[in-house]
Amino acid sequence: NEQLNTPENVEKMVIAAYSSLGNDHYTEPNSPWPYGDLRSGDAYKGGAGTGDLQEFHFYETFTYLRDDIGLLDSKWYKEYVAISRANNALARLNAIDEADFSKKMIRIAEMRFLRAHYYFELKLLFKQIPFIDETVPVEEYINVSNVEFTSQQLWDKIIEEFRFAAQTLPDNNAEVGRANKWMAKSYLAKALLYAAYEQDEKHNVTNINKDKLTEVVNLTSEVINSGKYGLNADYADNFLCETENSKESIFAVQHSRNDGTLHGRLDWGAMLNYPMNPEYGCCGFHQASQNLVNSFQTDDKGLPKFADFNSKNLNTPDDLLQNNVDPRLNHSVAIPGLPYKYNPEFIFEAWWNRQPEVYGAFMSLKEVVLPDCPCFEKVNPFMSSSKNRDIIRYDDVLLWKAEALIELGRESEALPLINSIRERAANSTARLVDVQGDPTGKFVVGTYQPGINCTWTNDFARQALRWERRMEFAMEGFRFFDLVRWGIAAEYLNSYFAVEKTRREHLREAKFTKNRDEYFPIPKQQINFSKKLYVQNYGW
Amino acid sequence: QQVPIQGTVISETDNLPIIGASIIEKGTTNGTITDLDGNFTLNASSGSVIQISYVGYLTQELPVKGIPKQILLKEDAKALSEIVVTGYSTQKKADLTGSVSVVKMDDIENISTGNAMKSLQGRVPGVFIQSSGAPDGGATVRIRGIGTLGNNDPLYIIDGVPSKRSMNELSSTDIESIQVLKDASSASIYGSRAANGVVIVTTKKGKNNETKVDFRASLTAQDYSKSLELLDAEERGMVQWRAAMNDGVNPNFGVYNFEWHGDAATGYILDKVNMPEYLDQQKTMKPANTNWVDEVGRTGLTQNYNVTLSTGTQKGRALFSLDYFNNLGTVKGTEYDRFTARINSDYSLINDKLKIGENFSISKMRKSLINAQSILNMTHEIQPIIPVYTLDGGWGGPVAGMSDRHNPVRIIEDNKQNHEDVVRLFGDVNLDLEVLKNLHFRSKFGIDYTGYWQRNMQLTYVSGFMSESTNRLDNSANYGGNWILSNTLSYNFELGKNVVDVMGGQEMMKYSFNAISAGRDVFASEDPDYMYLDAGESNKRNAGSATAYSLLSYFGKVNYSFDNRYLISATVRYDGSSRFGANNRYGTFPAFSFGWRLSEESFFKAAFPYVSDLKLRYGWGQTGNQEIGDFASPALYQALYGTDPTWDSDHGTAYDISGTGTGDLLSGYRRTQQMNADLKWETTTQNNIGLDFGFINQKFSGSLDYFTKSTKDILINPPYIATIGEGGSRWVNGATLDNKGFEFILSYNDKIGDVGLSVTGNISSYKNKVVKLPEDVINSYAGNGNDQTILGRPLNSMFGYVAEGIFQNQSEVDAHVEQTGKGVGRLRFKDVNKDGKINDEDRTWLGVADPDFIYGLNVAVNWKNFDFSMFWNGLVGYNVNNEVKRYTDFISFFGGHNYGKRTLDAWTPQNSSSTIPALSLNDNNYESRYSSYFIENASYLKLANMEIGYTIPEHLLKSVYMKNARIYVMGQNLLTVKKTWGDDAFTGVDPETPNLSYPIPFSVTFGVNVTF
Repeated sequence: NEQLNTPENVEKMVIAAYSSLGNDHYTEPNSPWPYGDLRSGDAYKGGAGTGDLQEFHFYETFTYLRDDIGLLDSKWYKEYVAISRANNALARLNAIDEADFSKKMIRIAEMRFLRAHYYFELKLLFKQIPFIDETVPVEEYINVSNVEFTSQQLWDKIIEEFRFAAQTLPDNNAEVGRANKWMAKSYLAKALLYAAYEQDEKHNVTNINKDKLTEVVNLTSEVINSGKYGLNADYADNFLCETENSKESIFAVQHSRNDGTLHGRLDWGAMLNYPMNPEYGCCGFHQASQNLVNSFQTDDKGLPKFADFNSKNLNTPDDLLQNNVDPRLNHSVAIPGLPYKYNPEFIFEAWWNRQPEVYGAFMSLKEVVLPDCPCFEKVNPFMSSSKNRDIIRYDDVLLWKAEALIELGRESEALPLINSIRERAANSTARLVDVQGDPTGKFVVGTYQPGINCTWTNDFARQALRWERRMEFAMEGFRFFDLVRWGIAAEYLNSYFAVEKTRREHLREAKFTKNRDEYFPIPKQQINFSKKLYVQNYGW
Repeated sequence: QQVPIQGTVISETDNLPIIGASIIEKGTTNGTITDLDGNFTLNASSGSVIQISYVGYLTQELPVKGIPKQILLKEDAKALSEIVVTGYSTQKKADLTGSVSVVKMDDIENISTGNAMKSLQGRVPGVFIQSSGAPDGGATVRIRGIGTLGNNDPLYIIDGVPSKRSMNELSSTDIESIQVLKDASSASIYGSRAANGVVIVTTKKGKNNETKVDFRASLTAQDYSKSLELLDAEERGMVQWRAAMNDGVNPNFGVYNFEWHGDAATGYILDKVNMPEYLDQQKTMKPANTNWVDEVGRTGLTQNYNVTLSTGTQKGRALFSLDYFNNLGTVKGTEYDRFTARINSDYSLINDKLKIGENFSISKMRKSLINAQSILNMTHEIQPIIPVYTLDGGWGGPVAGMSDRHNPVRIIEDNKQNHEDVVRLFGDVNLDLEVLKNLHFRSKFGIDYTGYWQRNMQLTYVSGFMSESTNRLDNSANYGGNWILSNTLSYNFELGKNVVDVMGGQEMMKYSFNAISAGRDVFASEDPDYMYLDAGESNKRNAGSATAYSLLSYFGKVNYSFDNRYLISATVRYDGSSRFGANNRYGTFPAFSFGWRLSEESFFKAAFPYVSDLKLRYGWGQTGNQEIGDFASPALYQALYGTDPTWDSDHGTAYDISGTGTGDLLSGYRRTQQMNADLKWETTTQNNIGLDFGFINQKFSGSLDYFTKSTKDILINPPYIATIGEGGSRWVNGATLDNKGFEFILSYNDKIGDVGLSVTGNISSYKNKVVKLPEDVINSYAGNGNDQTILGRPLNSMFGYVAEGIFQNQSEVDAHVEQTGKGVGRLRFKDVNKDGKINDEDRTWLGVADPDFIYGLNVAVNWKNFDFSMFWNGLVGYNVNNEVKRYTDFISFFGGHNYGKRTLDAWTPQNSSSTIPALSLNDNNYESRYSSYFIENASYLKLANMEIGYTIPEHLLKSVYMKNARIYVMGQNLLTVKKTWGDDAFTGVDPETPNLSYPIPFSVTFGVNVTF
């Protein structure tokens, strides 16, 4: 134990804490797709029917979900394993003399950044969580309640961590995987944005905090003005191995292969999300919903069909050629008859799906790679790649700024930000071609031009922003948390279910219970371990 | 006229003098007993008849005239004078005060299961043995129920050397006797490892003045008992169609399409199931009708040969045996192969004052790595329409719309070269020095070491949409075991009617274990002769680990008997283990027991002359359990680079911090365990009351035992509050578990004319109860964690919803309480708490997965040169969670597989009497929840064994220098009676191997035993 308190070994403890970012598995992945996409109407679970990873089916339908579901408990546990590694490193860092270890303060800031990231993820899923730092002795953990701090106070704790990291970290930290000042500022902005939408104990959004939003605007502006980051010319570069750690990637999980481990430290969060054709073979999870696919339709001005997008189903290559669509559809969703992952000779077929009779024929594209990609790895019966997974991207930062501005009533300042995202989308069609080189869809994306194609009111801007986030981050696992942040999850999801269950039998019993399903229940096992010190979330 | 007679009474069995045999002039009270050397002198009237009798032996009557110097007494079938090996010493069965079962090796020695313990199911009351048809003969042995939450395996003492390894590594033919020490008063001398009971195994030795060669051979054919009734290709289509029509969706998906007529009101009629010309886009597979269950099975074959040479003089005895056992299991590719050699010898020196002996065996086992359970599971995961082979001879495999599961025939074929080898050296050298008369110093040095080697080649393949293009080799090897040294000093003396045995001793043992493994990927050839590590081209990997522990013990024992009537025994053991915390390294395990042989009381003899034996026993004792990790006490950190994340989350410490995407990564340490310096033994306290009885010179004999057993401070590694994070686990002494039960055995032995008859029946029962658990681990067991917990209930209690049958019509659905997903044809769940809705508060206790009673009945008959025996056994009141029902009855729990034939009988409005819910592609009613629908009664009665033998008359053998020859034919697992009626009817195949255990085959053995 004490042997580990040397600078050399403490550096290793720091790496062990980073390692949790990639210590992944399909049952409780670090990738948020089961929590953010399945619960948002963007995606169905997929796989071999409702019983295959049944817990995810419960997430998707909000039925039968209970506080003793093992996968929720293991998700909770995994986040605390990561936190305990950070705390372990921090306790040892605190004990070291800065004279013996010049990087002491930087490493402390890195660890507090990482710890805050893990707390942030827990906070989104479970709302009321015990917050423990490195100063608490392990014997005392049992006495730390999940309601020691209110929900807002917990946000403040997380914000404090990111703020410390943002103040302490250098502009550039030697290795690309290490936290730096800009990562911390971006994450600080994200945490402030979430915290700004204040909730009561029933999870209703009751107030939007203008001070926090102002800080979001300032921080995102600093990141934008740093010149360190920018949008990739082609949206596709965010989802390819060869362009990982691009200028658009701010904070990513670094995956690797041929690295001395048995199979490589691959993106195990995506290990179920490949189709069932011979080039892959497993497991057909994470399938786009009909509603999501439909939402990519644009009108003749290239703007989203806000009102009636869902009255017409997009299903076939022909549908895409005859209707105006946002090209981000083809970057995000595999559609039968169209090239898979930008390879015109590799056509995705309905039969690549595992159970189209249950879950339809769309699959997810962003997290996968082509079978001939050097970073692809088969680990029978699963497979994945060493492609990084972005946690924070520059396009996200732009849209946080836009969101904060709109909620501050400064929607006109948000307009160019949203339009820059749309312009990039409009220009990202080079890879969306068939073998003849012809576009695989009638790709029409227009920018918002107030007075010409829209009236840029505050309400309209809010609608545009929220729509833009859905397009830009489709199938990346963020959507549900957006809905809860905005306070619209119940209304949104129940109206989604009303239509979607007529298309998909597995959604027959789906129902979002307002003032409960915004968060998962605190795992019953943890409440019992705490001798009932933990308090269950409202509604559960 | 009185004449003096004298002689020596000798047991025919072992040529040893019989002490205390009674010599009576028939019809008088004139008599005497034999002395310590078996000698007697008596004055009897000439012309009278002398009766020589001894408990456990057949009484002989001889005329005074011509009485021989040596009188050989034949042992009775159920011999009370049987020498029973108890802890570090031996006792006569008549003097036992603890609960000890002696196994009759005669009954089981021909059963070719490869594991003597496996043959004992139903034969030893209080011992519950679960096994399967797997060729390696592995078995789970539970003595007197489940006493702890961790390892419940008994301790084996083989020729005085303790071992926790399974008995399938020992040749059954080498075994002379097996004794099971069930209660604490008998087992406590083994202290810290005896809590789960002790099985004492003694191997055969050479005998005085006899040289012989025994040869045994047997050949067993095993019938492949089909595990499951699955749909054929057309039926699989019919079921898909029915489910889709029920759901109101298009049934034409996957490889099937359909023609049908009718309407929703009157029901749809399927006219035709159409299959495509080719299953796959690449046109390599045509529709087939493969019976995968048949494809993976075969008639198994077991061969067993044994040669035993034994010789002996007064000065030395030796036995040498060679045994070969080979079992080709009924699932293709499964094989177990064992070769055992043994040398046991002992020598008497210095006028028999010093005996030096050794027992040594070397075994070499090879086992295939094919996992039959997973192969059998695959037979339902792959659809029958898939052919075994493609048109061009490649492997058939899943296509679009099917599950990503393997062709089991390919798995067998591609793994047939993979195996593990174990070499085990086991034995001891011992000496016994009679320091003074009746004062013996005994010393034993024993070893038990194994070496293990495994090679696992994973080949490239294409099988439907499943494929692997990288071949891979993993090798692993380990070496480990323990030595023991024990020394005892024992003294026995008699003072009038007092007989006293005193013994004290000391024992040390040290265990160590080392393992390494290595692997590489990418081999130019998949030839087993080529595919060794050096030939691998990429992803070189290796791993290694080691562990050790040691024990130091002191023990003592006193046996006292007065006039053969009152027996007292007391033992104590003081044990230390390196596995425990610094503060609690040593534990004391005391025991005592009393016996009262009522049948030796003169008043009793007079009142009940037909009672030949009656003994009342009571014993109390404590035993321990140290089955935790070798380093359970200290806090631990681990340098763990990475783990295999295929089936479990990666929990390594490496990270690509530099973002290069490949190459060696930086890594760190993780905490794996917290410290507990107070960790100590778990202690089992047992009370045992027993009654041994025999009537009419042991024609009827038996015993009855009742026990209570309470295990405290059970070692558990409880889950812990998650905020502690990694390595929060620590071993603690936390739980209490109580068991109680009874055992009853009754034998009848008689000879009626030429017909010898022996019948033995036994029945036993145990019930356990969880008395105490740390509050925060109650969730890990059955119950809802709040008001309904495992406390006060059996450990294997089952907790879930109650399924109350199927909704027959809409009005029944409407009348039922709120149940998400309810509908016509769906399961109705019971509103247990009557709150008007079905939720997790409606879960309740559904049964216990322990049998109420375990019983067995053995009947043996011999007539002239023929012998016949049969053995029945069974369980009563045994509930199981029949997991198999999840795919024999439902298609909605997991799509793309094949399913049971039972789905053809699922509920429809036209088939409303069915108990199987209507077919659906979606489980919207959450019928996969743990409910009484899956709980079935797995009680059974089996004709486990039947044997007919013929001993060839001696006069025919003389010419070929044979002393003895017997041929036999034996059948095993011949008949099963199971519960096929009622709500809890067993719907599986064999209730002895429910779920997906390797089925126990029906088998027939032909064998020959010859002695030269």
